[in-house]
Amino acid sequence: MTAAAPGLRVRDITVRFAGLVALDSVDLTVEPGSIHALIGPNGAGKSTCFNVLSGIHRPEHGSVRLDGTELTSLAPHRIAALGMARTFQNIVMTSGTVADNLLLGRHGHSRAGFAATALRLPHAVREQRAQLERAREIAELTGLGTHFRTPVDLLPYGDRKRVELARALCLEPRMLLLDEPVAGMNAAERARTAGTIGELRTRFGLTVVLVEHDMGLVMRLADEVTVLDFGRRIAGGTPAQVRQDPEVRRAYLGAPSPQESA
Amino acid sequence: MSDRWVSGRQASGRRVSGRAALRRVGPARAAGAAAAVLLCAFPFYLDAFWLQVGLFSMAAAIGAIGLNLLSGTSGQLSLGHAFFLAVGAYGYVWLAGEPGPGLPPAVAMVLAVCLSGLAGGLFSPIAGRVRGVYLGVATLALVFLGQHVMVNAEGVTGGFNGRSVPPLEIGGFTFAETDPALVVLGVPFGAEERLWYLGLVLLAAVWFSARNLLRGRPGRALSALRDSEVAAAAMGVPVARYRSAAFVVSSMYAGLAGVLIALAFRGIVPDYFGLALSIDYLAMIVIGGLGSVGGATAGAVFVTALPLVMGRYADQLPLVAAPGATGHAIGPTEAARYLYGAAIILVLLYVPGGLGGLFRRRVRPPTPPVRQPKEQTP
Ligand SMILES: Nc1ncnc2c1ncn2[C@@H]1O[C@H](COP(=O)(O)OP(=O)(O)OP(=O)(O)O)[C@@H](O)[C@H]1O
Ligand SMILES: [Mg+2]
Repeated sequence: MTAAAPGLRVRDITVRFAGLVALDSVDLTVEPGSIHALIGPNGAGKSTCFNVLSGIHRPEHGSVRLDGTELTSLAPHRIAALGMARTFQNIVMTSGTVADNLLLGRHGHSRAGFAATALRLPHAVREQRAQLERAREIAELTGLGTHFRTPVDLLPYGDRKRVELARALCLEPRMLLLDEPVAGMNAAERARTAGTIGELRTRFGLTVVLVEHDMGLVMRLADEVTVLDFGRRIAGGTPAQVRQDPEVRRAYLGAPSPQESA
Repeated sequence: MSDRWVSGRQASGRRVSGRAALRRVGPARAAGAAAAVLLCAFPFYLDAFWLQVGLFSMAAAIGAIGLNLLSGTSGQLSLGHAFFLAVGAYGYVWLAGEPGPGLPPAVAMVLAVCLSGLAGGLFSPIAGRVRGVYLGVATLALVFLGQHVMVNAEGVTGGFNGRSVPPLEIGGFTFAETDPALVVLGVPFGAEERLWYLGLVLLAAVWFSARNLLRGRPGRALSALRDSEVAAAAMGVPVARYRSAAFVVSSMYAGLAGVLIALAFRGIVPDYFGLALSIDYLAMIVIGGLGSVGGATAGAVFVTALPLVMGRYADQLPLVAAPGATGHAIGPTEAARYLYGAAIILVLLYVPGGLGGLFRRRVRPPTPPVRQPKEQTP
C-alpha cells in the first residue's frame, strides 16, 4: 500500500449487450492518489465500466492500463492480484461471519493450499492466524471491529455495505472501485463511510474510483468527476466544472435528479 | 462451526475468559470423546449385522462428506458421485487383484484414491464449462459411461457379475477372517470387527481433513464460488482452478468410500454403482444440511442404515414385506426410499440446516451474535 499510486488509463472502451451499446468509446483517466467520481443517470454504464476494469466484462475494443499494464486480456483474479479491488452495487456476500468475508479478501495474500490446510500443517495454521490478525485490523479501521464475529446475515444493511468495503480493503489494493458505497444508508452512515473513504486516500494513498448518485458526497469527496450518459462520456473535470456543464444538466433532467440530495 | 480456530481470540479488550471458552467448547469436546469411546466399544457388543450397518454408514459418510464439499460448499451439482465411488472400488480391486497388477492392497488402496481424484480432474474441464442443472446432466453421463465400462471391460471389472474383493492387508495384519481366529477380550474378531476399526480410522481422518479444509483458505474460496463466482473472482480467487480442485478432492473422498464399500461387501457388481446411488448421496447431503461435515455424516447414516434396518425388521413392520417376498406389500428398500424422500421434503420445508443444523442448534443455543450496542456516529 506504500508504493507509488498507479494511474488508470482507459481508452476507447466499447461494450455491447445484444445490440445495446452499454459503453461507447469511453475514455477515463484516473490520477494516482486521487478520488475520481463516475456519475450518470441510471443505466448510463457506470457499473458496466467497473465490470470492464475488474475483468468481468471484456470490451469489444479499447484498452485499460493500470500503471502501464494492459488489463483487458486478464482474468479477474489476475487483475485483483495487480492491486485492483472493488465492491458491488448489490451487496454480494459470502455466508458466514464478517471475519470469513474479510479472510476471503485475504485470499491473494495467503498461500495455504488444499493439502496443507487439510493436514493442518504448521505453516498453514500460522498463516491463518496472521491473516486473521490482519483482517481484524482492517475491520477496526472500517468500524467493524465489534462485529468481527457476527454472521453477516444478521448485520443491518449499512454495516453489510461496510463489510464489502472492508473485504475489498483486505486485498490491500492500490486502486479501489466503489460502486454506490452509500446507497441505502442513512445520513449518519453516509457521513461515516465518506469519512472512511477520505481517510483511505490520505492515510494510504489509495486511488479511489467512486460511482455514486449522492451528489453531495461526490462534490465533497471527489477531485475529479467523469459523467456518463447512455454509455457515452459527456463531461469531465472538477466537481465545480461538472456542476456547471450544460450537457450534464440536460442528462439529468427527467432522470431522478441527483442534485436533490446535495 | 467455522469459528473454532478463532475462538478465544476475540478483539483485544474483549478477551473471553478461559472458563467461558471452556464452557463453550467443553460440551462438544466431551460429547465427541464419549462418542469415540462408544464407537470403539461397539465391536465387543454388536453382532455382525449391526457392524455391517455401521461399516456401510461410515463408508457412505466418507463419500457424502466428499459430495458435500463439491455440491454443498462449492455449489456444483453432481449426479456422478456413483462413478467416482466405482473408480475407487474397481480401482482397488483391479490394482490389488488377479487379473491385475496384484499390488500390495494398502498401496492399491492409496492408488485407487488417487485414481479417483484423477478421474475427477479429467472431468473438471467439462465442469468448468457448464453450471447448475446442466452440470448435473453432464455428471449424469459419467454414471452411464461408468456402467458401460463396468459391464463391458470384463478383463478389468469382471463384467456383469463383478469381481470379488481382495482383503486389505497392512503390515501383515489382514482385514478379514484368519485361520487361527483372532480373539480380543473373548470376542472373536472376524472381518466385520476388523473393518469396523479401519472404517473408524478412515472416517476420523476424513472428518479432520474436511473440517480443516472447510474452515481454511480453500473452503472459504469454495463457498465464495457457490455464493457468487463473480465476487469470488474479484476477490482474487482463480475460479476455474478452484472449481476443478473441488472435483478432484471430492472424487478422492468418493474413491476412498468406494474402497471401503468394496471391502465391506467383499464383492462388487456394476449394478450397485448406478444412478440410484448418486441420488442416495445427494439425499444424504440434503437431509444432513448442505455444507457441514457433521450433517453429511448424519445424513449418510440415515440414508444407509434405514433400508438395512427396515429389511432386518420387515416382519415386524406394518405394510413392509420381508425381502424377496411376493405380494402387494412394498419391500424394505423401497419403503426406506419413500421414507427418506419424505425426510428430504420435511428438511426442505422445516429444517433448512438439515440434521446437522438441528444438532448444532441443540448443542449450542446460547450463541447470540455479538450484539454490541451500535456505536453512535457523530
Ligand atoms: N449483463 C448485461 N446484459 C445485458 N445488458 C446489460 C448487462 N449489464 C448491464 N446491461 C445494460 O447496460 C446498460 C448499462 O448498465 P449499468 O448497470 O452499467 O448502468 P449504471 O450506470 O450502473 O446504472 P445504475 O445507476 O442504475 O446502477 C443498462 O441499459 C443495462 O440494462
Ligand atoms: Mg450501476
